[in-house]
Amino acid sequence: MHMQIRRASKAYAGTPALVDAALDLHGGEALGLVGENGAGKSTLIKLLAGLEAPDSLDVCLNGARVTIPDSAAARRLGLRFIHQELAIVPALNVAENLFVNNPLPRIGGAFVHRAALYRLARAAMRRLGIDHIDLRQRASLLSPGDAMLVNIASAFIGADDHQQPLIYIMDEPTAALNQAEAERLYAVIDRLRARGCALLVVTHRLHELFRIAQRVTVMRDGRVVNTRQIATTSAAELIHEMTGLSAACLPAAAEVSSEPADVPPRLRVRHLQTDSLFAASFDLRAGEIVGVAGLAGAGRSQLLQALMGIDKLQAGRIELDGEAFRNPAPAESWKRGIAYLPEERRSQGLLLGERISHNMTLPHLDRFRRWLALINRGAEDRRSQQLSRSVQLRATGIGQRLRELSGGNQQKVMFARAILAKPRLVLLDEPTRGVDVGAKRDIYRLISELAADGAGILLVSSELDELLALCASILIMREGRLVGEAATADLDERALLSLMFAGAGS
Amino acid sequence: MSQRPHLPSFLRRYGTLIGFLAIVVFFWTQRPATFMTLPNWVNITRQMSILGVVAFTMTIVMVTGDFDLSVGALASLVGIVAGSAFQNGAGVGQAVALALLVGVAGGALNGLLVAGLGISAFVASLGTLTVFRGLALYTSGGASIYGRVIPTEFSSFGRGALVIGEITIPNLTLLAALALALVFVILRFTIAGRRLYAIGGNREAARFGGIRIARLRMLSFVISGLGAAVAGLMLFSRLATAHPTQGEGLMLQAIAAVFLGMTMNEEAQPNVLGTLVGVLILGVLANGLTQMQIDTYIQQILTGVIIILAVTLSSLSQRGLRAPQWLRRLLGERSESA
Repeated sequence: MHMQIRRASKAYAGTPALVDAALDLHGGEALGLVGENGAGKSTLIKLLAGLEAPDSLDVCLNGARVTIPDSAAARRLGLRFIHQELAIVPALNVAENLFVNNPLPRIGGAFVHRAALYRLARAAMRRLGIDHIDLRQRASLLSPGDAMLVNIASAFIGADDHQQPLIYIMDEPTAALNQAEAERLYAVIDRLRARGCALLVVTHRLHELFRIAQRVTVMRDGRVVNTRQIATTSAAELIHEMTGLSAACLPAAAEVSSEPADVPPRLRVRHLQTDSLFAASFDLRAGEIVGVAGLAGAGRSQLLQALMGIDKLQAGRIELDGEAFRNPAPAESWKRGIAYLPEERRSQGLLLGERISHNMTLPHLDRFRRWLALINRGAEDRRSQQLSRSVQLRATGIGQRLRELSGGNQQKVMFARAILAKPRLVLLDEPTRGVDVGAKRDIYRLISELAADGAGILLVSSELDELLALCASILIMREGRLVGEAATADLDERALLSLMFAGAGS
Repeated sequence: MSQRPHLPSFLRRYGTLIGFLAIVVFFWTQRPATFMTLPNWVNITRQMSILGVVAFTMTIVMVTGDFDLSVGALASLVGIVAGSAFQNGAGVGQAVALALLVGVAGGALNGLLVAGLGISAFVASLGTLTVFRGLALYTSGGASIYGRVIPTEFSSFGRGALVIGEITIPNLTLLAALALALVFVILRFTIAGRRLYAIGGNREAARFGGIRIARLRMLSFVISGLGAAVAGLMLFSRLATAHPTQGEGLMLQAIAAVFLGMTMNEEAQPNVLGTLVGVLILGVLANGLTQMQIDTYIQQILTGVIIILAVTLSSLSQRGLRAPQWLRRLLGERSESA
């Protein structure tokens, strides 16, 4: 069996996510697919699954041209997917969930054949060596790991009934699994290969790649960089290919004023623990920009949300200028002088239907209070206008609705909100995501100015060149843990990336 | 240089207002002698005043994205509470204070269920609606309270008016105007009002932006409960009768009025001036159709159709859907040739 993929291209709003990618899948072989966040791996999978319409895509299956207009077509061609996002319906039980993306066995055309449903469900689970999950249990009661196992098992429903070997495409299938569960999946992958199936596995774990794949394809910036036999490559070589060269309009690294050691740090965090964060400890000095690096799901956003008081603290201690606070909440955090720019500015940050000025002053309305309860709108407008100039906002006026602004200008409104009250600590989550080059340069300048003004800045970013250029040091996160802190003077992108990947040396 | 008229946004802003004017003109032509007269309009404002108070305070709840289905039942209950107080020898001041207290408590109960326990506003206020109605029926034994137990100074208020020379302003109209002004100031000029809109606009962004959401949602339900209580007292005073179900019709009409008002806002936000127009539409329809001696059942059908029409039109333009081909051609091509 042979599946040939050529000319796979896709752009989102003019920004190319995937450019002319080519891949070959062979029966009896697992192809690994690696690359940084945003390299185009998931986009490629969405095109193959029929979930996104490609700008161009040629697929040949065993020599015949095929098209994949929707997910039903992908299924008919024998493609099976394990997507990164959980496709679990909480109200259904486990067995029923296994059939959400599979045709139900029927009696008389309209009625579900319950006995067959459970038989097929049991067979799919057994294939993965799963016997600890009750098929009749409600899916809402599953642990995240078990839910992922169910998600994976649904790709194997009816697999034994097929005459022809199938093609399995998996997007980070082991991200939510523990070691034993992952090992079971590896064994299943080996068995499928032995039966002549073809596999495409996206993974961030390089040691896993060497365990399961025969060939590996590296992607970068939406393009396929290289495909080679796994036996002829090494983890170091793959990391080099994933990072490539960096080109950016980055500022020179900011000078950090060295303070005497007896002044308490701007932020001191000890053993911070939440649902998704384990024992994080670090210090941040006033005027310092500290980066936070990690792969998707490493817990970077959760760290900021814990500091802001959005996620509930289970344990740990946060001190701002030596003053401890317990059970923080966003309202108190803003009052204490912590400013926060969330990752999803549209859904978590902005009121898209409101005026620019209202968005800027939202957390600071108490500063514009007069006559007990009223807003001093004159002062509010003046301050908004002033802030618009400081962040070089391009808008028709402070009355313009946020909806009408570009991504970069929306982000500048978020910055205006952050600097309105001269913050002590600024938490930035992917501040330049989806922002054009010009706005990016303005945002870098704003970050540097904030630091020069004495704010401590914690910067989460997936753009490594950005972290390396702006930050004095970088915290490395992996699977909810802070695993290290490195001074950027000793780092290049390659070294940083190997720190982000777990077990890259193996 | 031709500017294509932007049909959706034009319809969105003015469609409902134009509809309202069309209704007024229609009744004017149908009943030229009686409809467009000052006494009739004074009458309309009095007829609408009770609905107005409920709809204005309901606007605050709907600004945050919630509903309060219990207002009608609460208004009935408040009337029964005041009536029972009179039966037990309470004075007007005592009865009114007790009634307002019950309204605030009812609103606080809704707020606690919705903001404190996280139950959906629909389910919570549907539950309290039933509780309030049951309480009203139980307390009154299902019978109306009327007659001599009601102090005349209480019942005369509802029929009384402020007379300034030629102009007569009914007391109920004055109360509704006061409620309108208060809600307008709260929503437009206060910090709490700004925050309420933020909650309705994007709840997560509001929370991340440091707004204490539970507290404000609680406040909005308390205000709604207070509005229901005032409306219940107005109804009791005007009819000089407290019946355990007499406020029932208020809830649906109030929500409809807020919806009509939302159609007049570019961002489809509830706003109290829009709600006023919504209340006026419902009031004028009832008044005009009655003058034309149209069956009240037909009135209900017409009212429903008009609400659906207005909301459909504005939601079409909301989603950026284009107007029908023929309408676009009519407006677009004419302006391009100009």
